[in-house]
Amino acid sequence: MGEPHLDLPQGTLDLLILRTLELEPQHGWAMSNRIRQVSSDALNIQQGTLYPALHRLERRGWIRSRWATTDNNRRAKFYELTRAGQKQLEQETTNWQALAAAVAQVLESA
Amino acid sequence: MFSDLIYRLRALFRRNRMESDLDEEIRLHVERETEADIERGVPPEEARRRARLALGGQEQTKEACRDARGVALVESLLQDVRYAARVLRKSRGYSAAAILTLALGIGATTAIFTLVNGFLLRPLPVHEPDRLVAVREVDPQRPIPFLAATVREQIGERTQLFQSVCSWMPALLNLAERGEADLVEGIGVSGRFFETLGVPAILGRTFTAADDRQGGGPAGPVAVISHRYWQRRFGGAADAVGRSLTVNRVSYTIVGVTPPRFFGPMAGRSFDVALPFGTTGGLGSGYVLGRLAPGQTPESATAALRAVQPQIREATLPAAVAAGFQASRWLTQPLSATSAATGTATPLSDRFQRPLLAMLLLAGLVVLVACGNVANLVLARATARRHELSVRRALGASRARLARQVLVESLLLSGVGAGLGLAFAQVFCPFLVRQISTTTNPASLDLSLDWRLLAFTAGISVCTALLFGVVPALRAARVQPHDALKEGGRTRVGDQRWGVNQALIVGQVGLSVVLVVAAGLFVRTFATMATMDLGFDRTRTVIVGLNLRDARVQPPARVALYERLRQAVASVPGVADAVALRTVPVSPDHWVEAVRVAGREPPAEAATRGPFLNAVSPGYFATFGAPILAGRGFGDRDVQGAPLVAVVNETFARLFFGGPNPVGETLTFGPRATSSPPFQIVGLARDAGSATYFGLREGVPPTVYLCISQMSPDIVNFTPPADVRIGVRLAGSISAAATRGIAAAVGSVEPDLRVRMRTMADYIDGTLITERLAAILAGLFGSLALVLAGVGIFGVTAYAVSRRRAEFGVRIALGASTGDVVRTVLQRVVILMGLGLAIGGAVSFWTSRLVAALLFGLEPRDPATFVGAAVVLAAVALLAGWLPARRAARIDPAIVLRNE
Repeated sequence: MGEPHLDLPQGTLDLLILRTLELEPQHGWAMSNRIRQVSSDALNIQQGTLYPALHRLERRGWIRSRWATTDNNRRAKFYELTRAGQKQLEQETTNWQALAAAVAQVLESA
Repeated sequence: MFSDLIYRLRALFRRNRMESDLDEEIRLHVERETEADIERGVPPEEARRRARLALGGQEQTKEACRDARGVALVESLLQDVRYAARVLRKSRGYSAAAILTLALGIGATTAIFTLVNGFLLRPLPVHEPDRLVAVREVDPQRPIPFLAATVREQIGERTQLFQSVCSWMPALLNLAERGEADLVEGIGVSGRFFETLGVPAILGRTFTAADDRQGGGPAGPVAVISHRYWQRRFGGAADAVGRSLTVNRVSYTIVGVTPPRFFGPMAGRSFDVALPFGTTGGLGSGYVLGRLAPGQTPESATAALRAVQPQIREATLPAAVAAGFQASRWLTQPLSATSAATGTATPLSDRFQRPLLAMLLLAGLVVLVACGNVANLVLARATARRHELSVRRALGASRARLARQVLVESLLLSGVGAGLGLAFAQVFCPFLVRQISTTTNPASLDLSLDWRLLAFTAGISVCTALLFGVVPALRAARVQPHDALKEGGRTRVGDQRWGVNQALIVGQVGLSVVLVVAAGLFVRTFATMATMDLGFDRTRTVIVGLNLRDARVQPPARVALYERLRQAVASVPGVADAVALRTVPVSPDHWVEAVRVAGREPPAEAATRGPFLNAVSPGYFATFGAPILAGRGFGDRDVQGAPLVAVVNETFARLFFGGPNPVGETLTFGPRATSSPPFQIVGLARDAGSATYFGLREGVPPTVYLCISQMSPDIVNFTPPADVRIGVRLAGSISAAATRGIAAAVGSVEPDLRVRMRTMADYIDGTLITERLAAILAGLFGSLALVLAGVGIFGVTAYAVSRRRAEFGVRIALGASTGDVVRTVLQRVVILMGLGLAIGGAVSFWTSRLVAALLFGLEPRDPATFVGAAVVLAAVALLAGWLPARRAARIDPAIVLRNE
């Protein structure tokens, strides 16, 4: 189909989800849509990856879920960040930035 | 962490809700995706196609979500259990066979473990049993670790040694005032006994130190009774406290009742009545128990004890010497404190330890034989289920999932089997306890369930499931998805799974050989001992026990009374003979003294196994079947004042004189040569029925008989005893009329005497408890193994025959005779059996030495037992093989060929 596509490094998906939810509670489809838009279609999260990840994060207590209606009056399961998730996001972001910087440095110097 | 747990639990218990949420969530996602595609201008056809594609992956997504929820394992396990239960319910015959087999094996093991638990493992039902220690003198010469009351008091006075100290001693108490004895189980205890154990009274009070004074404390002689006796004698009446109880002719006031769970200070026995030592007139020596202070260990207590031992010895020595103990041996062995959390270790518990552990081992072998049968069943079924497993594989179940499924079924089988086995054990155990009870040593054991018992049974059940379930599980994992298609659901002809079954049969036969050999050894040991020629008819010989203190008869008057009692009993109708004797042969009764022969060194063996002495009246040698071989027996001329005479047995003559005829020699007895006047040996008696302390195992000891009518208070060590027996030979078997007649005859001579009557058979049975228990259990296990092995061989052979029906049909059609077919089938059975016999024989040959100490009268490698076991097993195996073989020979070729 020729969609632009990047493989996500291990653990990055969690970071993206947490970051997306930091702005406002979202349901699954909106989340994948948003990630795709923000990444200019570079990142396309499939449902097969997204939902297991959501359940895993919920189990860890970083996000929680509830059923609500959307703007156009349809039922959907909304996820939102918990306090623990907020902390996790901060830490993961720092880690990611440090890692990205380090990787970039190695790549440039080579 | 906590939220994780809550989440998982919610996921588990609100599974349906979470599942429907998941469905909904994913459905909405797909819906949205399709709409979005359409909005973006994707043609509706294409959008729907993409949605359908996405749908295909939905199940995987859901499964991945379930995994992410972290409950997948538990959930699918529950699924497996439900599925297994359904499968097992559907094939009832198979399940019942497997469960029953397992229940027999596990039940046998659990029953033995219940006894081991009761005797050796279960802590006493007292306050903090871990802090109880047994205090004893470590003296290999004395198997019964009593300490004198004076020593216990000295230990108690040194309050830094223990928090508190007490002692106790078992005793049969006679509640009758006259006539036939009314015996209850008693314990004599020191004043702080209940306090040390931490056992309160549920009614009234327990003893205080003040109750333990000579003749009784401020409240007079007092007694504490057990809950059991309170129920039995007083029907649990609340006013039992305060009533009186006459024990050994002393009137006691009951002051308290102990809790129902408290059976006494020793496993294997319980008590009815507890009395303070001070009121019983005894010396107060007994088993000593101490309670450690918090923080103290048995080791530190032992060190502290040994530090003060010289002072304790010094303080107690004068009284001990005055009581006749040898100063050089008084408290010279180191004192020690060892844990007594499971109760005082007594000769009874020590005696059962080895046989019980041996029986536990045998029961374990029975479980293995049972496992063999169940493994065969499970394997046969797994083969029949290849189709089902293969279909499940094709539908996407993983290998691990199938293996787990089969293993879960095995666990379920063994679990149900273990539950049933536990029930068997609970029924069987009281029977075993009755087997180890005797009149004077009634066994009583706490058999109730506890965590040790449950853990043991659960452990056995899991082990068996793994034993018989792992191979079938691995086989299930090997099933290929296309197997179902390839075979078209029809079983393949061939011997592919023969390997494991053959090994199982060989193993079963081998184990059965070990069990049958063990059964043979133990049963023959018991039979040898039970039928040993003792010289007298044990069921017709009755011992009448009397204590002349009952009638306050003083020593000078006793000899004459013995004779009047003997004559009175002898004249009772039905009594053939009556003799007076001091100690009962083949019983714990004993009278051991050092014996010296004039002009000879005592043999070395006499030092470890001192000659037994007995004082008997003239008719003894005829009545107890020990005929005089040389010289003469005792006669009317052997009276007080006449020259002192003795009769010795053959063993004594051999040991002390090295020759057959010692008549005419003289001997003295007692620690020194001058301890007694010389006795002249006038006769030599046959070795038979002589007194032995621990029973028949010890063989006949060197024995010296003295004449009871020569006993006199004027001769040192030869005072006529208050405790005396009349040995009665009945003309017929024992009857109520005879015992009543005897009691009446004794009463006519001396109305105050109380009478205890036991047959010699009863005495001898009491010495054969462990042998009888071992014989019963080993015999039972051996038969069980035979049945299981027989069923196993039958099952495997019948199965093989059913798989080879076509082949046999063709052979018969081609002219094979009945004999040919039977031979073909039996050939395999014979090969397997031969292998099993060889392996089992070799194993038994090497391991039977382990039980050598429990055997008597035969070698552990007794050839007759080994050959007998092989013959019995061969017979069982051939029968088990012949039944299906005959069926094979009767196959109608026409029917078989038509079906093919």
